Amino acid sequence: MTLAPSAVRSGASYWWQSYVSMLRFDVTNLRTYLGFLLVVQTLMGGGMAYMYGFYLGELPPVGQAYIATGIPALALIPLGMVWVPSLIGQHKLRDTYDFLWSIPVPRIVSAASVFTTFSIAALPGMVASLWISTVRYDVELSVSWLIVPAVALSSLMATSVGFGLGHVISDPRVTNLVTNVLVFFVLLFSPIVIPIVVFPAWLASLHRVLPFYAMATVIRDALTDGLVDSATSAYVVLGAWTVGAWIAAAWVVGRRR
Amino acid sequence: MTQRPVVVALPEKRTGAANWVRAFRAMLRWEITGFRLLLPLMVVVQFLFGAGFVLGIGLFLTEMPPRSALFLTTGAGVITLIVVGLVLGPQLIANQRQQGIYDFIWSLPVPRSTAAAAWVVLSMIIAVPGLIGALALGVWRFDLDLVISWEIVPAVTVTLATATILGYAMAHAIPNPDVTQILSQILIFVVVGFAPINFPPENLPAWLAELHEFLPFTHMARVVRSALTDGLVTDVGISYLVLGVWAGVGSGVAIFVLGRRR
Repeated sequence: MTLAPSAVRSGASYWWQSYVSMLRFDVTNLRTYLGFLLVVQTLMGGGMAYMYGFYLGELPPVGQAYIATGIPALALIPLGMVWVPSLIGQHKLRDTYDFLWSIPVPRIVSAASVFTTFSIAALPGMVASLWISTVRYDVELSVSWLIVPAVALSSLMATSVGFGLGHVISDPRVTNLVTNVLVFFVLLFSPIVIPIVVFPAWLASLHRVLPFYAMATVIRDALTDGLVDSATSAYVVLGAWTVGAWIAAAWVVGRRR
Repeated sequence: MTQRPVVVALPEKRTGAANWVRAFRAMLRWEITGFRLLLPLMVVVQFLFGAGFVLGIGLFLTEMPPRSALFLTTGAGVITLIVVGLVLGPQLIANQRQQGIYDFIWSLPVPRSTAAAAWVVLSMIIAVPGLIGALALGVWRFDLDLVISWEIVPAVTVTLATATILGYAMAHAIPNPDVTQILSQILIFVVVGFAPINFPPENLPAWLAELHEFLPFTHMARVVRSALTDGLVTDVGISYLVLGVWAGVGSGVAIFVLGRRR
């Protein structure tokens, strides 16, 4: 008896249907995790707001505004760039990684579903930690409509880079090391809660092409009046990192082993 | 014909100071050999951790007041001591549980106190290079003058021993290694961000600074700082006392947990 291969399913409606199932799959998978995630992210983000204050001592109002408006970027980075790759690493450690790719959906759908889930999961914790930091520093925000593209792009970029890291690096222990170094670099060596001008020139120019300062800039631009001159180049940097991460992930995910 | 019962004499119970020292040396060799591959990596990570604070926080201020620079540099050194004892140590023990080799280690025929003592010395080997590195880097970066006195020996020993014993007690008292891992992560967050180690206590809200008078972290920073600087810290007697109490509590818990039969 021979089984006729089923027809290759394609088309927009099939794509959409797979996307919805993958979303359900991802959210169900993470259901117990998501509450925990929110708590940790809020405590971390809110904690960082206080922490930087302790380290920097008495600050003028501008300095305080910088810290408060840098916190949302700090709440997004660990979620996208640490949790996403470490979850992928855990799949590798538990040998469920190949199973994920055996699910009969287009691979791009799996990726899109991860981006959607985590970009949205990052939002409540981000808002909560921003609220804590504005209360702490008593900062008046003037929120513009730009907050929507700023946060959406930042969150998407962080998740995409995290996704790329998780898949491109084959050994999960190396992923773990890389994400730890990354957090250290972001917290101590990045101009997120302070103006970039206080950094030495070489480090400042490095940060103009890395995504961290760009995230802080677009979000700060959308939350305040006058702290940021122009966020256009920051949007370009974020866009480039997002697309770059997609290309890297597509290369790894698409090849046959 | 009757069979004679076979009598095996129990080996003589080994006790006494000479035996303790021999067992201690054996355990120390055991620990160092066990960690020989990880040891260099752990030393380097600790060094980078301390150095990261000195260089990183230095970037955040256009002009670092000398007093803050002194706090940061000495604090970064103290943080490496605390992290090795209270974070890295418990994580290593949690790993032993996860790998299923935990019970084997306790089956070794040595007094359990020698295992604990060997653990403290191992922590010292990992932590002290980080401490020296952070201090040297701070002196170079901020052009500081440290006044190092003989007190540095007891200060570092007491700080590291207290941190290690507390971490040791925690890791042995908590049976679930996942809980230990989470707890050590929380501790690192508290120590780095919410304890007056890298920054002066007046930067904290009064109630939190008050609370730290009863926790060991401030006192660890104080005794080490007093040995490295002139005039930054006074009256370290009380700090040694507080650390002694914490070390006593940690030892008590460890003795209770390790001494009982399961």
